[in-house]
Amino acid sequence: MTDLIFNVFILLTIIPCFWVALSSNIVHAAFSLLITLFGIAGLYVLLGADFIGVIQVIVYIGGILVLIIFGVMMTQRGKLLPLSIQLPGKLFGAVLTGVILAALLLSATRTLWPVAAVLGEPQLTSAAIGDLLLGKYLIPFEIASVLLLAALIGAVLIARRSVRGE
Amino acid sequence: MNSLYTYLFLAALLFSLGIFGVFQRRSLIGMLIAIELMLNGASINFMAFNRFLAPDPIVGQIYTLFIMGIAAAEAAIALSIIVAVFRRLRSINIERAQELRG
Amino acid sequence: MIPENFIQSNLQGISFIGPELILTLAILLILLVGVLLPYWRHRILFTILAVAGLAGSVLPLWKLPQPAPDLTYLSNLFVWDWLTFLSKPFFAVVGVLTILLTQVTGEIDNSEYSECTILVLAVTMGMMLLVASTDLLMIYLAFETMGILSYLLVGIRARDERSGEAALKYVLYGAFTSGTMLFGFSLLFGLAGSTDLLAISQKVAFASQHPQDRLLLIVAILFFLAGLLFKTASFPFHFWCPDVYEGAPTPITAFLSVGPKAAGFVLFIRLFYPLFATGHDATIYEAVSGLDWPSILALVSAITMTLGNLAAIHQNNLKRLLAYSSIAHAGYLLMGIVSLSDLGLRSVVFYLVVYLFMNVGAFAVVAMVASAGGSEEIDSYRGLGARAPYVCVAMAIFLFSLIGLPPFAGFVGKVYLFAAVIYKKIYWLAVVAALNTVISLYYYLRIVKAMFLEKPTETIQIQVPLSSRVLLLALLVPTLGLGIYWQPLARVVSGMF
Repeated sequence: MTDLIFNVFILLTIIPCFWVALSSNIVHAAFSLLITLFGIAGLYVLLGADFIGVIQVIVYIGGILVLIIFGVMMTQRGKLLPLSIQLPGKLFGAVLTGVILAALLLSATRTLWPVAAVLGEPQLTSAAIGDLLLGKYLIPFEIASVLLLAALIGAVLIARRSVRGE
Repeated sequence: MNSLYTYLFLAALLFSLGIFGVFQRRSLIGMLIAIELMLNGASINFMAFNRFLAPDPIVGQIYTLFIMGIAAAEAAIALSIIVAVFRRLRSINIERAQELRG
Repeated sequence: MIPENFIQSNLQGISFIGPELILTLAILLILLVGVLLPYWRHRILFTILAVAGLAGSVLPLWKLPQPAPDLTYLSNLFVWDWLTFLSKPFFAVVGVLTILLTQVTGEIDNSEYSECTILVLAVTMGMMLLVASTDLLMIYLAFETMGILSYLLVGIRARDERSGEAALKYVLYGAFTSGTMLFGFSLLFGLAGSTDLLAISQKVAFASQHPQDRLLLIVAILFFLAGLLFKTASFPFHFWCPDVYEGAPTPITAFLSVGPKAAGFVLFIRLFYPLFATGHDATIYEAVSGLDWPSILALVSAITMTLGNLAAIHQNNLKRLLAYSSIAHAGYLLMGIVSLSDLGLRSVVFYLVVYLFMNVGAFAVVAMVASAGGSEEIDSYRGLGARAPYVCVAMAIFLFSLIGLPPFAGFVGKVYLFAAVIYKKIYWLAVVAALNTVISLYYYLRIVKAMFLEKPTETIQIQVPLSSRVLLLALLVPTLGLGIYWQPLARVVSGMF
């Protein structure tokens, strides 16, 4: 049963990925990303990280992706702009991607990963994550909040400006 | 099936497709979407290593959490800039943003 | 329950991040003043608050214990060594100069001035954290704090087309390269099972003995390089630099060319030396066996400086010209990194300090001339020497220093860099760098010639306000002073490694 669910999530992750990278329609790409992100959330749960799986759904799908789709809608204005225009970078990009993929796959199989002999049973992780965020990683956590605050101020500033400028 | 290698291959595939997408796309939001794919590839790596081999089993999950927060900030800022520029140019294709090249 | 030892560690470590805490307080104060006192939204108030915050941020440093290479704090997330100790005041100076330059040139509108100071302070905080980090998580977080907020700084003048487009380029390329770097981090995490640089370095030294693991290390190094070469504007990730530098408001350009670039080089030292180099005896390091990254970087250095200098020859826009010159300087600075010796590292830090004053100086002159009614094109510099003698003499000094002519500070910095590669017998790189210096002579002197030898198109005197003159003087003193009396700085720097 677990194997079946695992395979379903793997397929949910992989198949839409190609649309994300290849589709000439930006709306299709954005919605394919939604399915991919959902598949990844499922895989996180199977990896014993229930909390991160839920956060993936909330932050990535509920936050970032909605933001992206809003961006698509705000900048489309009815007609879809042609996306693919011949540029010399394309062939280069394909070759580079091939080289990187080959290097990554080869290094993943060759490397002697220090895999643990016995995998621990998955446990509820939210308590442990909370402890670490308020303990060892308290300062990074606070720095992230300063980053988000400054990013918020800046994003509002830029958006406000352009509205007034019109 | 549920082994480290499956996840590593998956992460490598997501990352490479992200890179491919960045080069392939000429639409700014499309490039942003492809970059999200790259970040997710890295996140899967962290989560898989965390599960299968890390002696300190929560660090990878914390790292993924931070990646999500940073990705959110990055996406918000990229989109606010894209929208601001779009309002001027009425087009989000990158060719139009190349008036600077000289 | 939160383990008691983490609470203890946080309480003890809090004094070490005093500078960052004070900067955060200054950010909040500016935010509050901007919101609560709308009628007080004068530039000078925000400038005073920001400069006071930056100046106050370095005060706690002298209360802290003697830096030591293995003195880590906050659960090994940060290290308190000499590099950290000296980098924090360096970035505070970068921040102060940027704020003052924004104040005296009026390129940023009053309505967005307070946000601009907030962002400069936040990026400075990110850079201060980055240089102290010894943990992959913290490095990524600080790197992105610096990066994401500097995209905003570039795009802060969004009503201006060039600024918006420059920000767009910067954010897309920046997100791409930092994503690549993150993937490299994830591979290293897999190899070591830890995010601590010390633990990873032991694992890397072990793994490099095994041919099976070597490919992974090479891939990880190349992925790191993407992020670092982007921030330092080196080949092959330099192409954003001219567009972004030209499009951004000039004070922000000056900030980017010394702040994040210096942070990138410090990160080079932080990542590459502990992870991929061994041996500290006789002040010479050795690349981890089987990974010849110094040769790769030497090649990158040679290409970077040559590309930058060749492209600069054709530029007529001064900001663009200085952008290419900044690419070339990234190439020179890489010479110190590849030399794998304490001498090389010292020369990088020394040159970064010198570069701070002369490069900000050159951009400051560009900003002042533009705001006094001129433009950024070289045409408006024709005969400027007669119309604004003080500014033009200052510009000439900054340019001579950038070339590396004695008796200016740039000369001393370059001598150290050349000495580092010659000491390691990388003669070809020294020859390439020398040839590049000759090329650079041409385009820097072109500006000097335009200013002093060509006929002016107008004859009206350009009025440069007193505040600008004082700021220029503050930049001229170190540029001249460090060229004649550099021993104190050299002594400080040589205590670092």
